[in-house]
Amino acid sequence: MKRLPLACLMLAGAVAPITARAELPTYELILRDGHFTPAVLEVPAGQRFKIVLKNNGQGPAEFESTPLRVEKVLSPGVTTFVVIHPLSPGHYPFFDEFNPQLPEGGILAK
Amino acid sequence: MNQSMFIVWRESVEALLVIGILQAWASQQGQGNRLVKFLWAGVLLGLMLSGLLAVLILFAGEAMSGSASEWFQAALALVASLLMVQMVGWMHRHGRTLTFDLRQHADRHLARRGGLGLLLLAMLAVSREGSETVVFLYGAGARLRGPQLGLFAVGSVMGLVLSALTLALLHGSRRFISWRRFFALSEAVLLMLGAALLVSGTERIGGQLLALDVPEQVYSLVGEALWDSSAVLSDSHGLGSFLAGFAGYRATPSGLTLLVWLGYWLVVGGWLRPRTADNLPCPT
Repeated sequence: MKRLPLACLMLAGAVAPITARAELPTYELILRDGHFTPAVLEVPAGQRFKIVLKNNGQGPAEFESTPLRVEKVLSPGVTTFVVIHPLSPGHYPFFDEFNPQLPEGGILAK
Repeated sequence: MNQSMFIVWRESVEALLVIGILQAWASQQGQGNRLVKFLWAGVLLGLMLSGLLAVLILFAGEAMSGSASEWFQAALALVASLLMVQMVGWMHRHGRTLTFDLRQHADRHLARRGGLGLLLLAMLAVSREGSETVVFLYGAGARLRGPQLGLFAVGSVMGLVLSALTLALLHGSRRFISWRRFFALSEAVLLMLGAALLVSGTERIGGQLLALDVPEQVYSLVGEALWDSSAVLSDSHGLGSFLAGFAGYRATPSGLTLLVWLGYWLVVGGWLRPRTADNLPCPT
């Protein structure tokens, strides 16, 4: 029972063409040993968007945010991306789990 | 130092909790020794898998942060969640006697089946967070020099000690509460962790679906938040964050997350409730 919706979705995912949408708004976020550039990312509310993550630090990073539903480990030099669900207006914090003592970054959805 | 201590503690405590519960339970069974061996074999395999995954993350970082790895991690989380439930079901059926069981044959049969479950669960519990811990430790170890590195190492060891103390606290609680209560509590903890794993696996899959070109309804099902309770209990700080990690709490759940979470508790509740010590079907 619990697997039924999941199975449907996976089927939907398999049937649909496996391509990321080109027109997805994209933002870049640099991680450097626990510091984020920019520290606050402004995005429009109610719309999916993509964040390109770059780890320019010397050490590994773990980009994490429960409200954004993301948890990703990046070793040094790695570039990857995440797609975030449409957000209602508000502030959504994220942080580097390997540097929890440093200030959080955040997404501001407007 | 505080930082490495906290991170090692946080990453290892969940695995140690699971292992502690399983070990306590397995050692009470008729085939206890065999079961415990399965468990430690699982821990050992989990450590090896952690190392392997960490090496992959560090040296094939691009590939390991991509989509395939997300699906892989989601699968790990879902399988671990399933094993948690299976293990609780198994404990539920066989944990009530808690005395040496005379039915040796049945017990041996049970040990073989359950043993494999123990092994797999211990392996997944260790390797899921274990690989991240190895990456973190390696990263800091490669960067820091001299006294800083020493402090870091001390912190990491203290993190492990802290986890062991947490575990000792759990074991110590057995003095004050009966076995029956201890196992009821253990079952609850495992089931909550199972729910947390299921939610995290579901969200990983949701994140992948969001990146694909799928019908709009899928986006709203896996994406849109049904409500926002973060004003009452935020899932990014304090208690809410703890509940997010240990029970799958979300302040802004998607429709899919809610469905899966509700389905989980319905299935688990329905499956575990009617089992009593008398009308047991053969373990399957």
